[in-house]
Amino acid sequence: MKIISHLIFSLILFLNINTVLAENDLKITVTDLWISEAPPAVSVLVAYATLKNNSDISLSLISVSSSLFSSIEIHRSIVKDDIASMERHTTLEIPPESTIKLAPGDYHLMLFNPKTPLKMGDTPTLMFSFSNGTKITANASIRKRNNTEH
Amino acid sequence: MLTKLSNSKFLIPAMAFIVILATGTGFYLSIKQSQERKKQSAVAQGVFWPNPKQMNDFSTEDHNGEVFGLDKMKGKWSFLFFGYTNCPDICPITMSVMADAYKELTTEYESIQTIFVTVDPERDTTNNLSSYVSYFDKNFIGLKANLENESSLIRQIGIAYYHNKQDENYLVDHPASIFLIDPEMRLLAKLSPPHKSKKIINQFKEIKRFIDENN
Repeated sequence: MKIISHLIFSLILFLNINTVLAENDLKITVTDLWISEAPPAVSVLVAYATLKNNSDISLSLISVSSSLFSSIEIHRSIVKDDIASMERHTTLEIPPESTIKLAPGDYHLMLFNPKTPLKMGDTPTLMFSFSNGTKITANASIRKRNNTEH
Repeated sequence: MLTKLSNSKFLIPAMAFIVILATGTGFYLSIKQSQERKKQSAVAQGVFWPNPKQMNDFSTEDHNGEVFGLDKMKGKWSFLFFGYTNCPDICPITMSVMADAYKELTTEYESIQTIFVTVDPERDTTNNLSSYVSYFDKNFIGLKANLENESSLIRQIGIAYYHNKQDENYLVDHPASIFLIDPEMRLLAKLSPPHKSKKIINQFKEIKRFIDENN
């Protein structure tokens, strides 16, 4: 019985530590995370978000992961001499006290091979890892593209 | 002496007449030229005029697995975009902008079609292509480009593409522009990005007006 209560206690403590860590993450925030609704059968989806570094040191996004996709990569769309291409970034630096927007036609996350098709109303979880060890989990919303936005 | 006198009598008015005629003609020509220039600039950038390329016949497969050739373009204005379905950013942005433009243009004009040509026919199966184009608009057409064929749309329009093959998730570089082929099957214009539906609609109206006046 004592062991069980110990276990419960340590579990509560563990959960609390996690919450504290999450609050600590306010140094860096991930907001407005959304995945564009895509045609069925497409095996690469795209996510956009706003990354804000509130600290006075430069931080980098080093990886994004999710159990729902085989892999996630950071890319940037480039249109040069009328050719559209994408360059892959292994990390994405966010300078001190600044914001980087992942947005249509610019930086974005490529989500490869969704395990199940995503539909409106789903809120898939993505985990963002930063160079200072911070990990942030965020839920994405599924949205239709709004062409007047960009 | 008399003839000399009469000659000199006519010489001055004659010369004056020639000068006036020449100046007038020059003036008229320069006005006409500047009008032509104005007309040309009104056509907007990216219009291949006065010598648009006449498209030759080609044969490819559409998103229903049916044969699609030049005859399907006759009598229609065709908007063409070259991309691939695994392109997550630029292609769906362009296709959804094109869907907005198409929706509005077809309320005013008949005989407009939008064609998505995949430059990645290896991965873009007929089924993929079909669900892809119909997602944006049920009337959109998907075509598989013959990458090697001399007469293919790709070769005829002269578009560039590149497969960055490292693994199965490879990326493809492709044109960012939208191409416009007129009902007489001439490659008439290249609409450059950034694409906005209002911009495409206005460009199309200008180009159509210009062609109606100058054809």
